[in-house]
Amino acid sequence: MKAILILALLAVLACLAGLALGAVPMSPRVIVAALLSPDAPGAAIVRDLRAPRVVLAFVVGGSLGVSGAALQALVRNPLADPYLLGISGGAGLAAVVAIALGFSGAWGVPAAAFLGGLGAIALVYRLSAVAGRRLDPHILVLAGVVVSAFTGALISAVLTLSPAEQLRNAFLWLLGGFTAASWSTVLVFAVYAVLPLLLLFGSARALDLLSLGEEPAQSLGLDAPRARRVVYLSTSLLTAASVAVCGVVGFVGLVAPHALRGLLGPLHRRLLPAVFLASGGFLVLADAAARTAARPIELPVGVVTALVGVPLFAVLLRRTLR
Amino acid sequence: MNLTAEGATVRYPGAVADALADADLTLAAGELVAVVGPNGGGKTTLIRALLNLAPLARGSVALDGRPIQEWRRGELARIVALVPQREDTPFSWRVEEIVGFGRYARRGPLEAMGPDDTAAVERALTRCDVAEFRERRIETLSGGEWQRVRIARALAQEPRLLVLDEPTASLDLGHEMELFELVRRLVAEGLAALVVTHDLNLAARYADRMLLLDGGRIAASGSPETVLQAELLSRVFRWPVAVMPLVDGPPQVLALRPGQDHPRYS
Amino acid sequence: MPGRRAALLILMLAGCRDAPPPPAPGLTDDAGVAVNLGEPIQRIVSLIPASTELVFALGAGDRLVGRTSWCDFPAEALAVPDLGNGIGPNIEAVVAARPDLVLLYKSASNRSAAEQLRSFGIPTLELATDRMEDFDRITRLLGAALGRREEAESLVVRTARDLDSATVLPSQPPTVFILAWDRPPMTLGRGSFLSEILERAGAKNLFDDLATSSAPISIEAVASRDPDFVLVTGSGEPAIAGRVEWQVVPAVRDRRFLRIDGSEFNRPSPRIADAVRRLAAELRGAMR
Repeated sequence: MKAILILALLAVLACLAGLALGAVPMSPRVIVAALLSPDAPGAAIVRDLRAPRVVLAFVVGGSLGVSGAALQALVRNPLADPYLLGISGGAGLAAVVAIALGFSGAWGVPAAAFLGGLGAIALVYRLSAVAGRRLDPHILVLAGVVVSAFTGALISAVLTLSPAEQLRNAFLWLLGGFTAASWSTVLVFAVYAVLPLLLLFGSARALDLLSLGEEPAQSLGLDAPRARRVVYLSTSLLTAASVAVCGVVGFVGLVAPHALRGLLGPLHRRLLPAVFLASGGFLVLADAAARTAARPIELPVGVVTALVGVPLFAVLLRRTLR
Repeated sequence: MNLTAEGATVRYPGAVADALADADLTLAAGELVAVVGPNGGGKTTLIRALLNLAPLARGSVALDGRPIQEWRRGELARIVALVPQREDTPFSWRVEEIVGFGRYARRGPLEAMGPDDTAAVERALTRCDVAEFRERRIETLSGGEWQRVRIARALAQEPRLLVLDEPTASLDLGHEMELFELVRRLVAEGLAALVVTHDLNLAARYADRMLLLDGGRIAASGSPETVLQAELLSRVFRWPVAVMPLVDGPPQVLALRPGQDHPRYS
Repeated sequence: MPGRRAALLILMLAGCRDAPPPPAPGLTDDAGVAVNLGEPIQRIVSLIPASTELVFALGAGDRLVGRTSWCDFPAEALAVPDLGNGIGPNIEAVVAARPDLVLLYKSASNRSAAEQLRSFGIPTLELATDRMEDFDRITRLLGAALGRREEAESLVVRTARDLDSATVLPSQPPTVFILAWDRPPMTLGRGSFLSEILERAGAKNLFDDLATSSAPISIEAVASRDPDFVLVTGSGEPAIAGRVEWQVVPAVRDRRFLRIDGSEFNRPSPRIADAVRRLAAELRGAMR
């Protein structure tokens, strides 16, 4: 209980930092004034650019974190991340094709990425069914690897045939960023994410049992196939939408679950809300760093999460192995 | 509590032969049935068939008169507790949490655990002699301790039938005996127990009935005296054995060394 | 969409270059390699749109036996065989054209191409055709290589005079944000050719504090600097006009766009002055 309060406080601080930092230096007084009144100087930047970015980054980060934690229980591997099951490959491929074909509407590339993610989900599900063991953890991972490799090869092919600059721009998109964040994007994502998130939070006990293995879980009263379906679909839908909104942002689904599992224990009832808060805050801070570190140049968020995530992860691993 | 199987047959996909064929079995409260037999003989498959963890190719299994397939997992878990042979989990659970999982079947997914749940967990921890480990993380447990924790979890389910698959595999002599004593006590209190074990002698001393499975078929069933026949066992286990009756108990099996004859004893 | 293609081209050229070394006596190209050109050059492969234009301007267009797909000016260039890309060129196709001279864009990505061509014994001049200041040097170099020294010198003088007359230097230049790409938002800094054209046309690049040629920037930065205009390539309504997150920038909200279209904005060619004049006219029209 205490832990959740501390994390909530940290999350709020992260959001405040996200509002305070950016390409344009602003003092706290200016920011507070901007939040209170739409006519204050800098209000447009704070209210229409930074605020939606902070909210979106928080919700996306939280979704990726919870998806990562759930997936780790589902495939019984603490190194699983939301992109393990090929979703980023499918979404990335669709996005790259959309960029190559010149989709320019505000929703063109994200919609394509989302559909690509759905395609990957369906393909992995189908592959696991063909193997006769629907949603079996080992089969899922293998199918995910296959789909990732397949889409990766296609992405390389598309990029090879594209002019040099489309190549660079497709990479930049894939590396992730919240530049296109607006209140309408926030609304769409938030409304969409409510159901999968609630389903995952509600699956806390199922996740505890699934991590034990199929037979123990079933003998303890879990309808394992149904639980796996719910978890698989919820995590996949959240991940596909995340990629559509902001590209592929790695490590968010990996770092917080790992760290918090060590601190709070693996019980999902306690873990999932904590992971949501921590991952949300993490991504907000990463986005703030992306906007500030080289201002006015904006780095891709995926680069920041990797640069921070890798050493963080190394530290975590060392502590677990000691 | 009444579990019956009639002609239960299981064939795994892609297999050339049945893993279990025409198994008949009845289990009622207050008895301990031991299932013995050579490796690959179908013992674990029998358990899976009885608990709807493997589909039946032929035959039927019914619990309290209802076909086993019609039981929802949650309902089933309130009556039957299974301790599978092997289990591993990637996460660092505490012993108390693991035993607490036994209560999940009695509460909805969002319902909080109540005082009777805590009490059941306490009882289970104490009976399996793992109460002092409750805060320890499972990766720090020895094989035997992990075994006892899982049995405690099964007891926390407050089942009417306890199914144990090779429960004494990693236990030392003292803990082995303690485990069988515990099961015997529970059976005396009205539980039914089905224990798969490789230890013929312990099975003979503790079980009310025994089942000998060989090549997926029941080769013998009945009292220990009926099942433990030297010629039958030698054939099934492909090793010469001698069966020695105890004066005040069931027969015991001794595997013979090559060239050894029936042992002499005082 | 043609506008997009132009934008890509601008970025491409802005994105890959290094600073050329100072010219050495004799025929030394921008990579510092001394190139020996024996007999008069009869077969030229030009793998740079800017040098293709220059070869025609120097009156040697009939000697061209190969160009890139991007070489679209003058109209006569279209009759020259298309050999594909200028960056990462198809060596086989170039060699098959049996050139006496290859004009190659100097960049890190073309290093291996330069070595390969030279290993075939084909004289190759690597040229850094990136900015306005490169024009005079490259024109004179080509003039020397093609035996058209006088034509080159007079072209340099003419272009300089033309450029000076086209240059506008207002006391308070309007600020212009160059939108090079929208997803993610990218701009061109002062190290780019288009930025130089913009300055000569009488405007100030919003991001002239960025020395690089191109960079991804925050919408925030654009909004706080509040440009007078946004420069986009192509015709019609730019994609960002309708995007919610861009309405924070007053110039976007009020649709204050400058539109340019045409390859003279991509490369330092004899049409530099034309580019400046056209952009200045666009600016004048928008400020009215």
